[in-house]
Amino acid sequence: MSSLAEYFETDWAAMTATDWVGTILTVVIFVLMIVAYFQVFRPKNRDKLEAKKHIPFEDDNEDRGDHDGRA
Amino acid sequence: MEATADYSAERKYDFDVVRWFTIMAVVYLVVGAGVGVYIASELAWPFLNFDNPYISFGRLRPVHTNAVIFAFGGCTLMGTAYYTVQRTCGVSLWSNKLAWFTFWGWNAIILLAVITLPLGFTQSKEYAELEWPIDILIAVVWLAFTFNFIMTIANRKSSHIYVSNWFFLGMMVMIVYLHVVNSLSIPVGLMKSYSLFSGVQDAMIQWWWGHNAVGFYLTAGFLGIMYYFVPKQANRPIYSYRLSVIHFWALMFGYVWLGAHHLQYTALPDWTGSLGAAVSLAMIIPSWGGAVNGMMTLSGAWDKLRTDYVLRFLIIALAFYAMSTFEGPVMSLKTVNALSHYTDWTIGHVHSGALGWVAGISIGAIYHLMTRLWHTEMWSEKLVNVHFWTATIGTVIYVVAMWVSGIMQGLMWRAYDEYGTLAYTFVESVAAMHPYYAMRAVGGGIFLLGAVIMLFNVLMTVWKSVSAGSLREARGPTAVAAA
Repeated sequence: MSSLAEYFETDWAAMTATDWVGTILTVVIFVLMIVAYFQVFRPKNRDKLEAKKHIPFEDDNEDRGDHDGRA
Repeated sequence: MEATADYSAERKYDFDVVRWFTIMAVVYLVVGAGVGVYIASELAWPFLNFDNPYISFGRLRPVHTNAVIFAFGGCTLMGTAYYTVQRTCGVSLWSNKLAWFTFWGWNAIILLAVITLPLGFTQSKEYAELEWPIDILIAVVWLAFTFNFIMTIANRKSSHIYVSNWFFLGMMVMIVYLHVVNSLSIPVGLMKSYSLFSGVQDAMIQWWWGHNAVGFYLTAGFLGIMYYFVPKQANRPIYSYRLSVIHFWALMFGYVWLGAHHLQYTALPDWTGSLGAAVSLAMIIPSWGGAVNGMMTLSGAWDKLRTDYVLRFLIIALAFYAMSTFEGPVMSLKTVNALSHYTDWTIGHVHSGALGWVAGISIGAIYHLMTRLWHTEMWSEKLVNVHFWTATIGTVIYVVAMWVSGIMQGLMWRAYDEYGTLAYTFVESVAAMHPYYAMRAVGGGIFLLGAVIMLFNVLMTVWKSVSAGSLREARGPTAVAAA
């Protein structure tokens, strides 16, 4: 067995319920982070997201209405 | 045109509570830094304890940390959050009365801290020293602040929530969770309680709170300030909104893991410290992404830094943010931690973040607010510039002194002679620190001088506004008639 395999060896039978909750939560959040990176840096979403950067400058307009389609 | 816009905002939004939080933040900056300079001087010249327990280092140190973190930092966060959420959502606060409750409640907590801590009432938990009745009050006021913020967002005119509000909201939600869990205790009297946790679990919970107070209160909250006030002061939108979104989620996911890196080489399982250090290193990426995002907002307009002293504060704060978020992960590595832990290097690191980043971004935001909230220019622009240089030079002197003394301490403590015995006694290492402790007090004193200058300039600006009737004019004919 290589040292790397030894390093990552896990006694699955010894995992408690807390261990499983933590493990599953961590993996789910890790996947969600990848989804977030993908969505944010997808060229198709660029203009839609970057348009939001002007919000702090729109508050001076009394009747500003909506920035993105909601009245 | 700017004045017209500010006048309409004055009539539309609830700014009185923001004004009071802003003024109190500056007052607490002077008080907190003043106590800090005094206790730094006590370490350099111990006769300053005067054999009086109420002003000894052990009692005044939590007064200093509570004053700068929760009094100055808290008033800054609450004031800027109430201001930002209104201006980015286009609506006034959900409840102005609730906002005033948070103002008086928060200030009552600060008053109670200033009374109880010198008297020796403490839970002995770092950055969570206050006893259980005050802890309950903190939870109530913080929840009121959070609820009011959420309801204001719910009433917003636009469907999108600007990113600075995400950071503020992330801070609010996490601080509720962290404060409540860390403060769980069994009261045995009105001002005495024992933590629900013990042993290694207590240490783990303490630093889960401790580092996340840094991560969510002193970082996420102040990033909320950065994402609104840097673009507004520079009059340019943030460099990349997409980067700000990733910055937010990476920060929220990453920071909760770091606490264990404060407990390397202790009774904690070894893997927890390794995990804390690994995620700390990973956190350099979003932290630097955020710092670069803020700085690059000035891309193509760097010349503004020559004339805009407020912008200087905001940008130098980002430089300190980048520096301390690199230094922290390096210090969390076990090999570096073996040298740095328990030394003044940690104090230097904390203050490069606290003075350079947190105070810098707060001071920049407060100067920005002063002109918008009192509808006049600062009483003296020159004094803002003097403040910038005193704050920067004071911080650098403080941090360099602690770097040198900390590394020297670490090296002296681990030095062995040819027989394998310690080369220096502990007392010798303490004596060697004296010049650096004096240097630290001088650096802190210079920073404090800047804070006093700021308070004077702020009060004179208020006086100028009141004398000229600027605020009354901004409030409109109704206010003038009523007056």
